[in-house]
Amino acid sequence: MVKKIYYAMLITLLSLYANEESGYGWDVPNSSLNIGGYLDISYDEKRENEKREEAFLFNDIAMLFSANSNRIDLLGEIELSHISLDGKSNNSSDVDLNIERLQLGYTLSDTQSIQIGRFNSDIGYWNQAPIAILQDTTTQPYMMKELFPKATTGVLYRQNLNEENYFSVTFQDNQDIAHQDDVEEIDNHLGLAYYKTKDELSWRFSLGEYSTPSDIKSNYMGIGSEYDGELLYLQGELFGKNLDKKKDKVYSGYVQSTWHIKDTQDIVVRFESYSNNIEEIKEQIYLLGYLYRPTPNIALKGEYIQHSKLPLNRFVYSLSVLF
Amino acid sequence: MIKVLLILSLLIIELYSVELVVIGDKNFPESNLTRLEIKAIFLAKKRFIKEQKLLVMNHKANHPMRQCFEKNILEKQEKSLERYWRKAYYQGKHPPKIISSTKMLFLYLDTIHPTIGYSDFNSSIDQEVTILYRVECGT
Repeated sequence: MVKKIYYAMLITLLSLYANEESGYGWDVPNSSLNIGGYLDISYDEKRENEKREEAFLFNDIAMLFSANSNRIDLLGEIELSHISLDGKSNNSSDVDLNIERLQLGYTLSDTQSIQIGRFNSDIGYWNQAPIAILQDTTTQPYMMKELFPKATTGVLYRQNLNEENYFSVTFQDNQDIAHQDDVEEIDNHLGLAYYKTKDELSWRFSLGEYSTPSDIKSNYMGIGSEYDGELLYLQGELFGKNLDKKKDKVYSGYVQSTWHIKDTQDIVVRFESYSNNIEEIKEQIYLLGYLYRPTPNIALKGEYIQHSKLPLNRFVYSLSVLF
Repeated sequence: MIKVLLILSLLIIELYSVELVVIGDKNFPESNLTRLEIKAIFLAKKRFIKEQKLLVMNHKANHPMRQCFEKNILEKQEKSLERYWRKAYYQGKHPPKIISSTKMLFLYLDTIHPTIGYSDFNSSIDQEVTILYRVECGT
């Protein structure tokens, strides 16, 4: 039954959006409200201790909504995640409804803005677009797991220095308004970010400190760069984190390259490395992937991930749609 | 025969040397803009000028002026723009409004302030607009 619903939804979405130019979502008539969403279905083959576990999942189904009125902007993302399609994990506790983002922005002047609410922390490149349809691979780099707080429930002030530079300051001193199954909950965060772009190249620098409700304090620092060329898209980031008065350290970095072999097809290669002295692991991860985008809002991906130590070598396939 | 070929070549050169002008309404808050400012405006990175919110108008994807605009002002390939707008939508940004004709652009420029768009220079000659930036399409 679930599969039938899934196929019906998929066919409807493909037929509705196959020729869409660049505007996504649905503009509610006579208002500035836009409602859209995304979905991500994946098949993740995991091999652990010689046992094989397969998972066919609706990784994410989410609704996105935005509205603006002159200087005020509203943005929300409500996500339903981890619904199994193979009936193996249809326990209600597996399904998670979550407020990923709920933010209100106010433009102070031509160059300054402020936003409050829950938003993706202004840290690094990947964290600005952490969903599958926006990325060239289904799996995320290790860096996205625990190097910095992915979301902040607080205030962000942004100052554009000119058309190619900005910096932002993030502040949180309260509980998170949501819970996320794969994200460390924080109740305090102070961050600084700087971004610069020049032609096809851009750079990001981020640093900050945060603490969890159990009062574990951490600080992070990272740099990243992106090149968006005619035949090649390159992205690389390197982050480090100190925990618990600098006794524990985690480092992680990746370089990812996407070759545009045809208008709708890409080959992706990623190399990443991390070191975690809490879990006493140093590892390299290699990824080779293929990406097919028949239209800008649909992505079909297949990738193989090779770990140097952990028994997590596997194939992952996915279909993602932005609507 | 050679003359015909020469005339045809000149016509082709003429067609390819169309001048694109970025235009604002007659009371636009600035008298000119830099390419980077225009780029930021059309990528929804800059939405206000002199504390006034801009209405930004774009041509349809297959319009020759749009192709010239993307090549010379935005300096982005189609694939890069697709990637950009996917991410921008997720961040709550929306692309400029699409106009179906240059006539429609001038109608918006006449009625809504401040509005910004672009057209070929010849179409803008008899219009009450502010020319903010010029670029040769052949370059």
